[in-house]
Amino acid sequence: MRADEIVEAFPVVNIDSPALDAVRLLVDHRLNGIVVVTHASDTPYAVLPASQVVRFIVPHYVLEDPGLAGVFTESMADHAAEKLRGKTIRDMLPKKPQRVPVVDADDTIIEVAEVMSRMHSPLVAAVKDGKLHGVITASGLLAAALKD
Amino acid sequence: MMYYAITVFVVAYAFIISERFNKTTVALIGAGLMVCLPVIDSPDVFYSLESGMNWDVIFLMLGMMMIVSVLRETGVFEFAAIWAAKRANGSPLRIMILLMLVMALASALLPNVVSVLLIAPVTLLVCDRLEINPVPMLLALVFASNIGGAATLVGDPPNIIIGAHQGLSFNTFLFHMAPVVIIILLVLIALSPLLFGGFSAVNPDRIADVMSLKEREVIQDRTLLIKCGLVMLAVLIGFIVSPIIHMAPSLVAMLGAGVLVLVSRLEQSNYVSHVEWDTLLFMVGLFIMVGALLKTGVIQILGHLAADATGGNALLATMLILVFSALVSGVIDNVPYVATMTPIVSHLAPTMAGHYHHNVLWWSLALGGDLGGNLTAVGSSANIVMLGIALRSGNSISFWEFTRKGIVITTISIVLSAVYLWLRYFVLS
Repeated sequence: MRADEIVEAFPVVNIDSPALDAVRLLVDHRLNGIVVVTHASDTPYAVLPASQVVRFIVPHYVLEDPGLAGVFTESMADHAAEKLRGKTIRDMLPKKPQRVPVVDADDTIIEVAEVMSRMHSPLVAAVKDGKLHGVITASGLLAAALKD
Repeated sequence: MMYYAITVFVVAYAFIISERFNKTTVALIGAGLMVCLPVIDSPDVFYSLESGMNWDVIFLMLGMMMIVSVLRETGVFEFAAIWAAKRANGSPLRIMILLMLVMALASALLPNVVSVLLIAPVTLLVCDRLEINPVPMLLALVFASNIGGAATLVGDPPNIIIGAHQGLSFNTFLFHMAPVVIIILLVLIALSPLLFGGFSAVNPDRIADVMSLKEREVIQDRTLLIKCGLVMLAVLIGFIVSPIIHMAPSLVAMLGAGVLVLVSRLEQSNYVSHVEWDTLLFMVGLFIMVGALLKTGVIQILGHLAADATGGNALLATMLILVFSALVSGVIDNVPYVATMTPIVSHLAPTMAGHYHHNVLWWSLALGGDLGGNLTAVGSSANIVMLGIALRSGNSISFWEFTRKGIVITTISIVLSAVYLWLRYFVLS
């Protein structure tokens, strides 16, 4: 089985879109990550895992001192997503450009699994003729592996 | 051999100051060259009381670092900082003053960098809840940290170096340094509305937010807190009675660290998590290089030159050491500076004429070295750590923003120190 056969249509977001839009996409479609593109190119710029988005609702001072996570009242904690207001997806990406988990559309599922595990990414972008063709999720990959 | 030693030392020092290379690597290469040339040999390095390694410094620092690693797990300092902020009833100025006191006290007992790492996040939390600019508060706190660290033998590495070299006890340090540190801190607090004021009005809802913070939640293991509290108390008593029980502070700290490791039952990765091996190896390299200068007579020559320059005038020497140390420590790491100056002052002290307190030159060196850290943004490790925390929180503090305030605070601190040294050791002595 080739990557081409297990790709899923996946929402793609622009790097300058509001961060809250990306969160809504993740929530509405129950995704474990999203593919980010730029205005200039159709090729994937980055893959933003949901876990990285979650990190952004943690106040920076709690990241500095995890012991402070418990001092908030329930009502304060419930407003955690407000931290994302005014931020763009670019703000949530690492400052240094990271390698994008990308596979070719005719790669085998072993090649896809290798990229996914090596880059610790819950999804990889599949590219065909230099353009984004779709996305392969970890669950989609495992389902394909079981089918075989 | 003398010229070899001078060349290696000067080149290594230049590389350390340039900060273009890892300072520990440079110090160890310098030490390696001193041994290979050979300017200094094994008996000198390991066993010589004059030119050898100062094991007291290494083990006191190691012991304190291990104690801090365990103490951090308790959350006691975060608890104290949130508790203090709540006692201020939401007034930013009162919060800043109370946090400055907590920071100064923490810095007197723990390394300054650790105090900053513990209290800066709480400060950011409080400012975030109050929706006020945290920069003035962060600046005030790091200045308080560098001042507070000067009060005790274990508060700042230069004090550890001076104390171990000269055999000055915890009590002696506290008795001679703490009064002037308290005076400087009180003056800083009195001037803080002028230097760091201008906070915007705070919405009562935001004050209610701060008042509802649950500080008890930061203490996750009460049993560990009680055990650590008891051991810390024993360590402090050990420091105080160390001259009576004839046990060096380094051994008190190592014993305390050992007991803490036993009673806390923490994993090895936890109790060594804040041991800065890099700093300890840097000290090893420095001691070997300075030992080579001592063995070849360079330090003795520098001591004579310093004696000639001051003409045996103790007051002049005291003031020169104070001001020179503050200026140098403001721009380079105060650890290599004080490690080099310690043997020079050792040779300078006996040449002083007249009746004066025999340790005044050491207090002058310690005050200059410690308080000079406030001069510029790179003057102390605590400053660099605080600037990093501010930057990561999206509140960058520029070099000049820091230094503008640093110059004012260091000038005030050094003037107060000079008056204190003059009055206490020359006028009233």
